[in-house]
Amino acid sequence: MSTATRSLGLGSLLLLLAACGGGGGTPSADGPIAVEATDDACKVAKNTAGTGNVTFEVTNKGTKVTEFYLYAEGDRILGEVENIGPGLTRRLIVEVTEAGKLQTACKPGMKGDGIRADFTVTGDAKKATDSDAKLAEATKSYQRYVNSQADSLLTKTTEFVDAVKAGKVEDAKALFPVSRTYWERIEPVAESFGDLDPRIDGREDVIEEGLEFTGYHRLEKDLWETGLQPDSAAIADRLLTDVKEIVEKAKAVELTPLQLANGAKELLDEVATGKITGEEDRYSHTDLWDFRANVDGSQAAIAALRPVIAEKDAALAATVDEKFKALDALLETHRKGDGFKLYTELSEAEVKALAEAVDALGEPISKVAEVVAR
Amino acid sequence: MLVSNGLIGLREGLEAALVVSILVAFLVKTDRRDRLPFVWLGVGIAVVLSVGFGALVTFTTATMTFEQQEAFGGGMSLVAVAFVTGMIFWMRSTARTIAAELRGKMDQALKVGPAAVVVLSFLAVGREGLETAVFFYSSVQSAGVGTTQPLIGFVVGIAAAVALAYGLYRGAIRFDLGKFFTWTGALLVFVAAGVLAYGLHDLQEAAILPGLNTLAFDLSDTLPEGEWLGALLKGIFNYSQRTSVLQAVAWVAYVAIVLPLFLIKPRSRAAGDN
Repeated sequence: MSTATRSLGLGSLLLLLAACGGGGGTPSADGPIAVEATDDACKVAKNTAGTGNVTFEVTNKGTKVTEFYLYAEGDRILGEVENIGPGLTRRLIVEVTEAGKLQTACKPGMKGDGIRADFTVTGDAKKATDSDAKLAEATKSYQRYVNSQADSLLTKTTEFVDAVKAGKVEDAKALFPVSRTYWERIEPVAESFGDLDPRIDGREDVIEEGLEFTGYHRLEKDLWETGLQPDSAAIADRLLTDVKEIVEKAKAVELTPLQLANGAKELLDEVATGKITGEEDRYSHTDLWDFRANVDGSQAAIAALRPVIAEKDAALAATVDEKFKALDALLETHRKGDGFKLYTELSEAEVKALAEAVDALGEPISKVAEVVAR
Repeated sequence: MLVSNGLIGLREGLEAALVVSILVAFLVKTDRRDRLPFVWLGVGIAVVLSVGFGALVTFTTATMTFEQQEAFGGGMSLVAVAFVTGMIFWMRSTARTIAAELRGKMDQALKVGPAAVVVLSFLAVGREGLETAVFFYSSVQSAGVGTTQPLIGFVVGIAAAVALAYGLYRGAIRFDLGKFFTWTGALLVFVAAGVLAYGLHDLQEAAILPGLNTLAFDLSDTLPEGEWLGALLKGIFNYSQRTSVLQAVAWVAYVAIVLPLFLIKPRSRAAGDN
């Protein structure tokens, strides 16, 4: 980069900061609140203000350099102005978004906890409610998604279980990846219900943990490897019972926006640890169906949060969209008929490319939780 | 009134002028005077931006939120640390070339682009430039309503800082080369560690990093920033009277890692080596 462009970059950064600070919030109805600071007193002209921009004019009439702070509860600094030399007046503009009990403080000599006084802010919350409303809407819209997926999960699992019990191996094989799709899409929700998850979706490795090997993968082994077993029907019945229970619970669960964001990341981690390696569906090799479903689920959680992400970090929203697009495009190249290629049909290079696309998406997705929490 | 405002000027001025004076001394010492205009360009851009931006927030209703302000100052400081660290090792590599008496290779060791010089000077001055500019305006405003003392104090303070920085420069270029590199480099290590701690403290105040009130020590009474020794230490090393644990750890870690790296005598390389 040439010198000129670099300095221009820094310059425009400053201007940008100026722009985003300019006129943020609504000014309080009345002018600035005068604060007269001396070496042993801190006279704040008014101890109340409405929400929005609160402006203080701090005049130091003492002999020591002073600082002025506005604290929220727990001494969180909402705003401060340092280096108010004797004889100087400095201005502090703080955007207070919600009503509450605050404290003002002068710190003569810039030390200690300062001379405190209570300061009350009243009125409607500004900005914050917009965010809160968007967050509430996000959880609602994701809830609708979970409900629709849970219904399909129950329908398709019932068909799958019936096929197993009727001994229709080919039908059951075709239904296996389809019914799992709905499961994988809402997996983070399902995982929050303790031992239901290993019962439904545990792989053979659960035996080492002293659990019984049941559920989808046990039936998968029967269908693809060993042929149907005497207890296959019983296992199928139990799977349906467990799925019914989880569907009921999933519909009742109330997720926080933070859980949504973390769920979106967990789904991608699932892909990275289970699907990319081909160990999830080790008998049927239908890992790409699960892969697609995990990505769908992650996308749905992010889509619900999107208005919030766009408001708080537009650049991140754009990055996430772009990486989802890239991963989608790559996955679609492996489509085959109604479904996907088998894991065993993928070359090592193709697996690696998929892994890289998942990692590239996982990185921005991992930042979403932090943005949502802001 | 005169003295305490003067100390603020001294402190803010030193924070900016120190790195610049070392940079200038370094360029002069290594016969790279052709790079000097770039130093003043960087300083100039920083001053113009600070003054312009300071005017904006002083005379209009434009504001930055507190978090933006701290994040900006803290971020700038961290970038400045990266550049000053680069400068430290760049000096070390030059010292190595000199130690090996390969004066002909000096040009190679000094392959530092004008851009880097501009950015380094810009960061050194721009980091605290906004705060200084706003302070300056408020002292001008006070002068307008009857008391000129803060303004006089502030200007005297800045002048003192510039004089000190110039003194450092004069003193530094008197050293023989080897000594010059060792001393100014070591000084820079401590300056950079201070800037790092300072930047982290800004980020803690903005609640971007936790632990603002978990203090390593509080010397508000023994060595206050508002008196001349504290002000000098703050100006040169970014000393804070209330240092949080995070600041202290970062400072110690930086010095513990960079200082040995800087001081370890590089093996003299034979002329044939690359």
